[in-house]
Amino acid sequence: MKRMRLGLLAVAITALTLATPSVTLADVPESPDPIKIAVNEWTGQVLSANIAAEILKKMGYNVELVIAGALPQLAAIGQGELDMNPEVWDNSVTEAYTNGIASGDIVVLGELGLEPREGWVYPPYMEELCPGLPSYQALYDCAQAFGTAETFPNGRLVGYPADWGTRDIDVVTAIGLPFNVVPGGSEGAMLAEMKGAIAAKEPILMMFWQPHWIFAEQDLNWVEWNPIDGECVEETQAKDTACGFAQAHVQKIQGREFATKWPAASAMMAKFTLTNTDQNAMILEVDQKGRPAEEVAAEWVANNEAIWSTWTQ
Amino acid sequence: MAEGRGAGSSLSGAVVWLALLGLALGLALLQVRFPVLHAYPADWQLPLGDWLNVLMQWLVDHTKPFFRFLSWVMGFPLQWVSDLLAWLPWSVSAVAAVLIAYQAGKRPLAIFTGVSLLYVLAMGLWPDTMNSLALVAVSVPLAIALGFGLGVAGFFRPRVERFLTPMMDVTQTVPAFAYLLPILMLFGFGPVVGLIAGVIFAFPPMVKNTIVGLREVPSEIIESGLMSGATPWQLFFRVRCAAGLRQILLGVNQTTMAALSMIIIASIIGGSEDIGWKVLSTLRKAEFGESLVAGIVIALMAMVLDRITYGLATREQDMDHDKGFLARHRFGVTLLAAMIAAYGLSLVVPALQVWPEGWTVDPSGPLNRGIEAFVIAAKPVLDATKNFVIFAFVLPLKIGFYKVVSPFTWGFTPTLWHAAFYVVLVVGGAFYARTRGRGGLAIATLSFGLILFFGLTNMTWPGLAALLIYFGYRSGGMRLALWSAAAMGFILISGSYDKAVLSVQLCGLAVVASFIIGSGLGVLAAESDRFSRILRPINDTLQTMPPFVLLIPIIMIFKIGEFSALLAIISYAVVAPIRYTEYGIRNVPKEVIEASTSLGCTRSQLLWRVKIPLAMPNIMLGLNQAIMFGISMLVISALVGTDDLGQIIYIGLSKGNFGIGFLAGIAMAVIALLSDQFCRAWQKRSEARLEGAYP
Repeated sequence: MKRMRLGLLAVAITALTLATPSVTLADVPESPDPIKIAVNEWTGQVLSANIAAEILKKMGYNVELVIAGALPQLAAIGQGELDMNPEVWDNSVTEAYTNGIASGDIVVLGELGLEPREGWVYPPYMEELCPGLPSYQALYDCAQAFGTAETFPNGRLVGYPADWGTRDIDVVTAIGLPFNVVPGGSEGAMLAEMKGAIAAKEPILMMFWQPHWIFAEQDLNWVEWNPIDGECVEETQAKDTACGFAQAHVQKIQGREFATKWPAASAMMAKFTLTNTDQNAMILEVDQKGRPAEEVAAEWVANNEAIWSTWTQ
Repeated sequence: MAEGRGAGSSLSGAVVWLALLGLALGLALLQVRFPVLHAYPADWQLPLGDWLNVLMQWLVDHTKPFFRFLSWVMGFPLQWVSDLLAWLPWSVSAVAAVLIAYQAGKRPLAIFTGVSLLYVLAMGLWPDTMNSLALVAVSVPLAIALGFGLGVAGFFRPRVERFLTPMMDVTQTVPAFAYLLPILMLFGFGPVVGLIAGVIFAFPPMVKNTIVGLREVPSEIIESGLMSGATPWQLFFRVRCAAGLRQILLGVNQTTMAALSMIIIASIIGGSEDIGWKVLSTLRKAEFGESLVAGIVIALMAMVLDRITYGLATREQDMDHDKGFLARHRFGVTLLAAMIAAYGLSLVVPALQVWPEGWTVDPSGPLNRGIEAFVIAAKPVLDATKNFVIFAFVLPLKIGFYKVVSPFTWGFTPTLWHAAFYVVLVVGGAFYARTRGRGGLAIATLSFGLILFFGLTNMTWPGLAALLIYFGYRSGGMRLALWSAAAMGFILISGSYDKAVLSVQLCGLAVVASFIIGSGLGVLAAESDRFSRILRPINDTLQTMPPFVLLIPIIMIFKIGEFSALLAIISYAVVAPIRYTEYGIRNVPKEVIEASTSLGCTRSQLLWRVKIPLAMPNIMLGLNQAIMFGISMLVISALVGTDDLGQIIYIGLSKGNFGIGFLAGIAMAVIALLSDQFCRAWQKRSEARLEGAYP
């Protein structure tokens, strides 16, 4: 419900932003102040930020990339100390985000175009221990294959950290799955457990999200749910018609002043999109081959002028 | 007469204990009928968190411009220092660091510093390290100035000191994460905010040491100053400060250490490309090798700065003012000349300017493969250990034997007979202890028997409160009883009770384990110089390396959950008991040992009957510190998925709700301060007992 309201609000705000009269490139930059772009901890966002920065530079803007934690950045954008972030996952943000949008301090520019996926993943060897996978129905019968001594006779599901909300617990409760949900603590802890379990070929079932670089490094399968029309309501689904999780949206956001201060930049950012395929390929370059994100981003901009040149007009 | 009264009071004490334990047992049995006993009702809580939010909002609305101005001003020195450090060729900075190390600790320290710098260069982390150093270099002088000023004020005005002491205890025990949010709201965003968080965390040791240093100047020195006609100003700076200098410089040392421990937290707020950020971002990817490489840089930085500031603090002061300028400033001149020479050379040899990329190595690949191989090999054995600890200790303390024992865990279904056997075991043990004259042990056996049967979470809150308050009364009189009541009251009213119990359960186990392991290792280290030499660098690393780094291998082996959290806390809290026990035993007076040996004590008698009892006050201090470190680690252990007060702090942070996070922080501080009071009471008793034994 909250999510839907948010979506409507986002659409309304985007419409408003797009309605501002377009400016010709000749006026650029409208302000010599550097546009401060937030850089977060995960590679995908670093790449999105660098690509946006590269294009804005080509348009003639001064750009500054500022390293910012995913949480404090929202306060900073709200207060005008950072100007924008091209990749914000609206499911991992909280009141700071919704309040910022409600008060107009944070302006949503629309979706980035990434198609995120959230749900439960497991390594392929689990299909030998639990033949009914990937269907979620199989989990009822082979909960013990996923169990540990602590959770016995229930299975063990590693959920999101407690401060990301309780959606995984809601789903397990709603569909009566015999699993204990263990809060993941932090992304690092979840990945450490995943790496340890796969190395020792131990059973594991974990709540996870995509795009994420782990999919480039490890072979992981998704638990499949019943297809559904429209949004999946997590808290009220039933055992036989379970739909799993409502999927997130990846938004571009900017500060209150952005559109008036740099109209052409704002218009470009409203059109700015990236695909899962593009981002996954770049993430692989950075995380696996150890290349600097700036270099990979600049390469994308150099190779895809046909795409982004339509955004700057 | 006195003896008779003592016996009488201990008898009635035992009666009160038994009555209270009976009450707690009764309440625990009744809680099924009366849920109000199990969970403290929400209606009886105060919305303290909301009040805090309102207060904070008011403060932000009214003072924001001032704080924003402050952070704008502080941005300049930070920018200058980090620009300077980035501009200086590495050879110049390295030469300066090694020379200063030589001045502080002669050749060994100079070599250690040189090797550490080489490590940083070889790992290709020089620029990141310089950015972190800039943060420390600006925050430390600020913290020192602030701490010295407040310390002087506290020295002259006891009322100020009475106000400062609890404030400082709170800033040091409330986890830094709990006040990140208000700092962000007031000061804004960016590296400067990390700097400010560092200053707030780092200044208290400076205040304490300044007050102690100024106070402990012998009165003869002051009198001789007065006699030679010093003005008040001269008397303060030339006489009192000079005489207390060593203590004040120790404050500088501890302030530096505290500022360093904030590096990681500063990078959570965001900011520059520094070493803290490196550790954080590699941790997020669970890259063990990479985070270890960067974590070691922080540990090395801490060790080098610790040794240098400590060396400078304890160095013999050269008070001779009659020498010429050059003689007095010989070190400064040498340093400057060497730096200029290095700069000149770096203009000719580019490799001295920027460390060539070809000279760097990256050991993270082999490290990652190594840890993976270890996980595969060690997992089966370690899993068995883990299950044993969980079913025998962790879960009973949490939910009680009556819920833990099942065919899945202990291999049998509990019957009434098993329960009866347990009761006989506990009561019998207590009775045996009582007949041996160990009344305290008997009470402890009964209390733990009761708690382990029901589990801390199923002990009712009135029952636990009654036991705690009476325990406070017995340990430290009315004062400690009031302290206990106030602490319990706050935790209940603020609605932190459930999480606080889980925190106490986790932390309590970790502290007991740390204390047993740590004091054992400390005894070994005191008895063997070689063991002590091996242990010292391990201790230093455990205490200075960001505790996050150890989490990765721990989780890879033991999975997310309480056992991993337990290990993380122990790995950090174990260092204090090791150090204090070794120090205590090594400092037993030689005469006592000689006398005991001449009386024919064997080595083990000497250790158990003489050294350990005499070292008891120090060993207790180690326990006290283990509790403090353990509580401070709760925030870190929440990253491993625990469900205690530490977790609430993150939830507050992620919701942007200052009130709930800060309340959880205060609840942690309250637990820490109360444990501190208990430790002090026991320490006083063990000292009194010592004085009784060796008048």
